[in-house]
Amino acid sequence: MFTRHSTAVPARRWLALLTVLLLVAAACGNSGDDKADASHDTKGPTAEATGGGDKDKFVSLSGVPGVTDKEIAYTVIGTRTNNPLGTCILDCYRDGIEAYFAFRNSEGGIYGRKLVVGAELDDELTQNQVRALEVTAGDDAFGVFNATLIANGWADLDEAGIPTYTWGIHANEAANRQNIFSSLAISCATCTGRGVPYAAKLVGAKKVASLGYGVSENSKICASTVGKSLEMYKSETGASAAYVNDELDYGLPNGIGPEVTAMKKAGVDFISTCLDLNGMKTLAQELDRQGMQDVTLYHPNTYNQGFVKEAGKIFEGDIVSVAFRPFEADAGDSGLADYLKWMKETGSELTEHAMVGWINAELAYQGLLAAGPEFDREKVLAATNAMKSFSAGGLITPIDWTRQHIPPTQDDRSNGYTQECVVWLRVVNGAFEPVAPKDKPWLCWPNDTLDWSEPVPTSFK
Amino acid sequence: MLLAASAGEDVFRAILQGTPPGAVFALIALGFVLTYKTSGVFNLAFGAQAYISAAMFFTARVEWGWGIVPSVVLSVFLLAPLLGLVLERLIFRHLRTASAVSKLVVTIGLSVALPNLFDLVVGFQPVAGRTPVGIVADGADVFYDPFGTYAFSRNELMSIGVAVVGMALLAALFRFSAIGLAMRAVVESPRMTELNGIRADRISAFAWALSSVFAGLAGVLIAPRFNTLVAPDFFNLVVVAIAAAAIGRLVSLPRALAGGLGLGIFIALFDTFLPRWSDDLTWLQPFQDNLTPSMPFVVLFGVLVLWPSIRRARDAGDPLAGVDPPPPSLVAASRSARLTLATRLFGVAFLGVAGFVLFVRGDAVWLFLVTQAVVLATIYLSITVLTGFAGQISLCQGSFAAIGAFTVYQLANRYDASVLVATLAGGAIAAGVGALLSLPVRRLGGIWVAIATLAFAFFFDAVMVKFSWVGGGTLFQGTRVPRPTLGPWDFADDKAFLVLALVVFVLVSLAVIQIREGTIGRTLRALRGSELAAESIGISPARARLAAFSISAFIAGIGGGMLAMHQENVNYGNNFAPFAALFWLVLVVSLGARTVEGAAQAGAAFSLFDAVILRGALFGWILRSPERIPGIFPISPKWRFVLFGLSCIQFARHPEGLVEHGKRRAMLRAETRLARKRPPASPPDPVAEAPVRTEEPVG
Repeated sequence: MFTRHSTAVPARRWLALLTVLLLVAAACGNSGDDKADASHDTKGPTAEATGGGDKDKFVSLSGVPGVTDKEIAYTVIGTRTNNPLGTCILDCYRDGIEAYFAFRNSEGGIYGRKLVVGAELDDELTQNQVRALEVTAGDDAFGVFNATLIANGWADLDEAGIPTYTWGIHANEAANRQNIFSSLAISCATCTGRGVPYAAKLVGAKKVASLGYGVSENSKICASTVGKSLEMYKSETGASAAYVNDELDYGLPNGIGPEVTAMKKAGVDFISTCLDLNGMKTLAQELDRQGMQDVTLYHPNTYNQGFVKEAGKIFEGDIVSVAFRPFEADAGDSGLADYLKWMKETGSELTEHAMVGWINAELAYQGLLAAGPEFDREKVLAATNAMKSFSAGGLITPIDWTRQHIPPTQDDRSNGYTQECVVWLRVVNGAFEPVAPKDKPWLCWPNDTLDWSEPVPTSFK
Repeated sequence: MLLAASAGEDVFRAILQGTPPGAVFALIALGFVLTYKTSGVFNLAFGAQAYISAAMFFTARVEWGWGIVPSVVLSVFLLAPLLGLVLERLIFRHLRTASAVSKLVVTIGLSVALPNLFDLVVGFQPVAGRTPVGIVADGADVFYDPFGTYAFSRNELMSIGVAVVGMALLAALFRFSAIGLAMRAVVESPRMTELNGIRADRISAFAWALSSVFAGLAGVLIAPRFNTLVAPDFFNLVVVAIAAAAIGRLVSLPRALAGGLGLGIFIALFDTFLPRWSDDLTWLQPFQDNLTPSMPFVVLFGVLVLWPSIRRARDAGDPLAGVDPPPPSLVAASRSARLTLATRLFGVAFLGVAGFVLFVRGDAVWLFLVTQAVVLATIYLSITVLTGFAGQISLCQGSFAAIGAFTVYQLANRYDASVLVATLAGGAIAAGVGALLSLPVRRLGGIWVAIATLAFAFFFDAVMVKFSWVGGGTLFQGTRVPRPTLGPWDFADDKAFLVLALVVFVLVSLAVIQIREGTIGRTLRALRGSELAAESIGISPARARLAAFSISAFIAGIGGGMLAMHQENVNYGNNFAPFAALFWLVLVVSLGARTVEGAAQAGAAFSLFDAVILRGALFGWILRSPERIPGIFPISPKWRFVLFGLSCIQFARHPEGLVEHGKRRAMLRAETRLARKRPPASPPDPVAEAPVRTEEPVG
């Protein structure tokens, strides 16, 4: 066959093979073709919420996974091994959940049972689907808390009807799934917003750059959407997009020198980023090197006091965005006081991921409470999905779980938050200071219009 | 005039900006050339060695609070040479006469095993925000701007200085010192060197220690480039630096230095002056935006393909470099009929019982893992064809599989095509890409095919995946893939899909066995044995290579499509990224690259080792209760990489793989026992007493 005088394979054989393949192809289809809409095909809860009840009332239950007469067990899945970011995810996330459980258990638990973390599963970065299947197969956890860098197991958890509480970074995997509850509602990554334009206005910037990684869909879309938002509101803010790069190489292995030079040439005086905290450091160092240390950076992922302090002065004056009531705000009558108290009681460090764990655990508890003492998974799911304003005790912008599993769009924000809110901190002498008043740390715009307006300082309960 | 002055300033600035990363590339390229010159090993584990010293320095300096000098002494001047000596003594000394390809495979295994082993032993893990520090105080914070155009940090100046001084010292060592000459002589011919009264072992050990010190130095110097220390970053840098080393044909230190610096500067110039075509042609945007990060791989591929001297380099110094002794025949072909029957009966019985238990009692996890093992085994059959039969090392099998997976996603998502039909289409497209890839590499041999395919894998990863028509998922759907139906059968059910996966695996296996026994297989074996000899009997190596790449890519594409269906998502980063796919090769060649059985066991090892061994399921089964599993479980999953990475060492000694090697030993033992049991008076059994054939059956 490979000699210089090759012999042809009989054509009849090929024809026969082709015929067989065509016959097989004619019979082929895809599973779920007859379903009306693949995006809504997950098993949603059908039970009616029983409307809550006395949290101390004990009812013996049988056949409810993870529930005994003494405890209600949850499994925590997170990324520890092989985490390329080097951030504390699984351990910190679990800290927050356990602190919350300790808080509630100190009040006697719920329905005569203690809340416990029954199992902890490290997904080792790439094993999320296997770990999710371990939960569905084991059937010994009432619900799952999940904070992983890759979320390809969420679909299995959702389809198994397991209440799953997650962090809010995987909108794709959480969208349209009625049994997945993130710490943030499903956001519209392509929807313009007033946050970054207002931040630019706040610091008096005129020319803004927007940066994102090409390898991450979230980061890429985030960077280009910020560019669109700046253009949309440039007449009101006086700040326009002067440089947009949503294709940076992940981890900036070749540095970011030429890009910073290009920004310098474009006269950029404010940079909005959709990068991780490690990338922010590389960027800030390069700005420093090229004499652009006065340029303000907008950080989406840098709410880490130790990291900012260790970085020295390179982040001074920058704006850091955070997704919940920050530790530096007044607790007021919010759940922040309980969080701070119980994190201290359990000897845990205050971290962003611990707060996400706490918020997730609060939703799990409230779901149980709303479901009543004769609870099961379906009832808890139904009760949770009936909540119209869950704010974790004033820790997050309220979520309406009756509609916020479905992502809003640029033209139809009916499934979005009632208000568009941001929480910002400025880095002052290496520490964080809220931009808004400490008792009203959110800056909010009405979400029923896209028109420009000044934000209103707000607090939630 | 003003414009010209501005352009000139831009060029100068780009040159300055490109110099620090260029110095990093040069440092690694120099170390790479040093290793190659002094050991004859194309050391892909260089990055792993560099990582270990960098992580040790970081641990000593930041975690333990040591000073700079003791930290450098520990990481660069103690640990690094010790590591080099251990590698030489335990591994490479025994591989001196092994083929270059075998040594390359061993280094790939080490590149996977060493970082994980270090992390386990030292307990090292990256911590965000705890940035690696350099070997000069305030190295990242103090800048010098000698030209008033672009400032260099102290760390960068140190790297540039070490690269230049290191090159000069190493060049002097090789040119003027007796030991330099001896090191080169040992690579050329250890026996001749010993005849001259030089202790080849000692020289070789010194060479490994020296090159390891350089790897350690490079690691410590380049670590501050990264904000966290993770091994894949170092491996990626090595791939980039190979382009620079290739410019120096792997032997010229000054050219490696120039190549590294030139590459850094070229990328910076490219970044600065690349016209924005995509402003008008938006479809070009992913290509343009990702051209810069992929430039080293394009350069590497271009150098390999277009530079004739590289193609000739494979034969330099060793007239038998292109000749691989024929591997021993397969055990199945040489053992007695009775033993073969017994083995097969046992195999069928074992699989039957395991399958029955799985189908009756297996839960979702085991079904998932076993199905994954079957699908991966299908993919691994692509390595069987290319590496096992043709002797070609391809490091882009993950890209071929990804092409299959993406085709399934795109056709199902855009055109509502059946995923089964799309899988065949994916295989066909992958085969086409494989055929195209085989054309530029058709004149390359041995390690250069491996490096060219590695460059392709990184290019695919950096550029092609970003195109919306390749890897682009839809918002809020990602790259979700449905399960197939076939007539009345719906494979949405996991058990049904396992059956489908088994059918596909069996069909592909039969095809692979047919290929092995047929003309194609014999041709590929001839090519593997000696390309020149094959050519002399009228075989066209280019056409044979084209066939091997096409068939292999087709199988990988089919397997990739199946994997996407199985996981109901492409999950590119999880499944097909270059570094992840590197481990596939390690597994398959360790266990057996020439047989279907080897591929099947590699699939099982990848998918099940963690659950069965490391997470203690086997103990739980033996002790009859998961509650009795000892507290040491679960064992860190890193051990999987360590064990299989180190088992790659066996490839050079037993190229047939551990499975085949084990079978051969078992066969010899069994046949010896059978021979003992026979009555002495009986006539000689021609089967039992027949010597084990050591060559492939001919004809």
